[in-house]
Amino acid sequence: MYRHIKQPELLPYGKIREDLFRPLSGLTRKYLFAIIAPILVILIGGYAWATQLRYGMGVTGLQRPVFWGFYIVDFVFWIGISHAGTLISAILRLTDAGWRKPITRAAEAITVFALMIGGMFPIIHLGRAWYFYWLMPYPNSRLLWPNFRSPLLWDLTAICAYVTGSVIFLYLPLIPDMAQLAEHNTPWRAKLYHVLSLGWTGSDTEWHALERAMKLMAGIILAVAISVHTIVAWDFAMAIAPMWHSTIFGPYFVVGAIFSGLAGLMIVMAAIRKLMGLELYLTRHHFNNLAKLLLLMSILWLYFTMAEHLTVWYGNDPSEMVVFGARTRARFSTLFWLMVFVNFVVPFVLLGIRRLRNITTGVIASVGILFGMFLERYIIVVPTLSNPRLPAASSTSYAPSWVEIAITAATFAGMIVLYLIFSKLFPIIAVWEFKPHPHEDEI
Amino acid sequence: MASTMYLLSEFRDKEAVAGAIHSLRASGVGDSDIDLFSEEPVEFKRGVLDRPSQMSLAAVLGAIVLGGAATAFVRFAQYNYAVNTGGMPTFSFWGTGVITYEMTMLGAVLATFVFFLWESGLIRKRDKTAPVPVVPPECICLRVRCVSGDVVKPTAILQESGAISVEKKAPL
Repeated sequence: MYRHIKQPELLPYGKIREDLFRPLSGLTRKYLFAIIAPILVILIGGYAWATQLRYGMGVTGLQRPVFWGFYIVDFVFWIGISHAGTLISAILRLTDAGWRKPITRAAEAITVFALMIGGMFPIIHLGRAWYFYWLMPYPNSRLLWPNFRSPLLWDLTAICAYVTGSVIFLYLPLIPDMAQLAEHNTPWRAKLYHVLSLGWTGSDTEWHALERAMKLMAGIILAVAISVHTIVAWDFAMAIAPMWHSTIFGPYFVVGAIFSGLAGLMIVMAAIRKLMGLELYLTRHHFNNLAKLLLLMSILWLYFTMAEHLTVWYGNDPSEMVVFGARTRARFSTLFWLMVFVNFVVPFVLLGIRRLRNITTGVIASVGILFGMFLERYIIVVPTLSNPRLPAASSTSYAPSWVEIAITAATFAGMIVLYLIFSKLFPIIAVWEFKPHPHEDEI
Repeated sequence: MASTMYLLSEFRDKEAVAGAIHSLRASGVGDSDIDLFSEEPVEFKRGVLDRPSQMSLAAVLGAIVLGGAATAFVRFAQYNYAVNTGGMPTFSFWGTGVITYEMTMLGAVLATFVFFLWESGLIRKRDKTAPVPVVPPECICLRVRCVSGDVVKPTAILQESGAISVEKKAPL
């Protein structure tokens, strides 16, 4: 009936509300299968972590001199994915991009879950996870404080600030929707929404405060998001290790984060569009705009990758050239050129040629980009540690063990489960942000 | 003794609401006596039901307070157990500036959130006796607080401005 309407904002408000609130009720077979399969993967990942806690870090592939492996790659990857939401949503809100409306909440939810997952990896990587509290700023039994100059402590503060900001940024625009949901629902849901909506009545005082807070938060969160991935980059760049000690690592990582975040967002949007039947709201127009952004980021990513490698090659520092060679023409070269292929060549063809650009090719390119960005982080971490500036006492080639692979797989499954639970509890598209059409009868 | 009375009116048109607000204010009704209810934010031109805000100031103050406190705390910790820095300063902004920055931002975030809750009235003690209208889809409701003996004039203003309905309600 409404297929001819190109802009979801032109749909009648009642229809918008019904369509966006409908996925919250009832459990379909498709939904149950979608949630049970990843839960099984999470259980396997849990067993793997339990094995690591029982037998120690020896069960991983980490060995001298490669002390950082899959876990740090996962950490950087998930923090990167977290940029899908808050950062992109903040930019779109600040620029008042009208097409952002169906995207922002889906994106903001990605940020919160990706940060929760990414933040777990430093703890998993500790080995003795129960000593995590040592990072907290209090003097230990020998009155020694944590090292505030360590980039790892910077990570802790940055991620804490980002998680707090992102949760608030997700929560604030949810309040009006939850107030509406509290009116018509099962008792326990009504109670939940009533408590979370804090007695919202929809008065102009409340709307004014909400809009002002969202604008302010968008500005603040933008600054936090950029700093977070810069600090993650500084975990590497502050070390005088070959091909890590680079001044452009901060922006290089931020570009990579936004790139992978957009790819993640594209996949999530395509999935919820299909699973929840939201074709009227997540239209080709939205995917087309995201695809253009993705293409831009792909080109920027190639520029930074070239800048990073060309300066190393031209400088011809022996210790850096060993890593450069390992990446581009020796042991890691297959992974390196595969990364360039999926991060640049594939998106350039699929998204750059207008005739080829559609939702399916967008998703194909995005899956490739996620894989490529995982490879990028692997290629940054492992070759440098395998070829340290000072000769290592012993040398070994790193390969992830089944424990690391299972835990990594579990985090992807965890993301799916968290997202599915969220989408059952809260509308995945902000209902109130769609302005109702004034002449409903004409449609 | 005159008691309080509420007028609940429904509008379909934003311009009509703006006109009603102008007329009500001209007749002596204060901004604090007028409340507007809708299912989405309604934007008016400047001068119509402005709600001045101190949220930006609160965010800046929150940023300064938490950023300053974090820096002071780190400085205290560095001197409390002074490690051998090989001739470098015991406390250095270069070394800990990131923590100052992040805590400054966290301060701004928290202050914004707390101020939102305060300014929107969500955590303040609100007048529970004021009736909250049920807003039909695509409608805007205007609630006017007035003295029970003086409802005729505001009612007439609301009706003349294009209200679909005007209902008199006593406090709950």
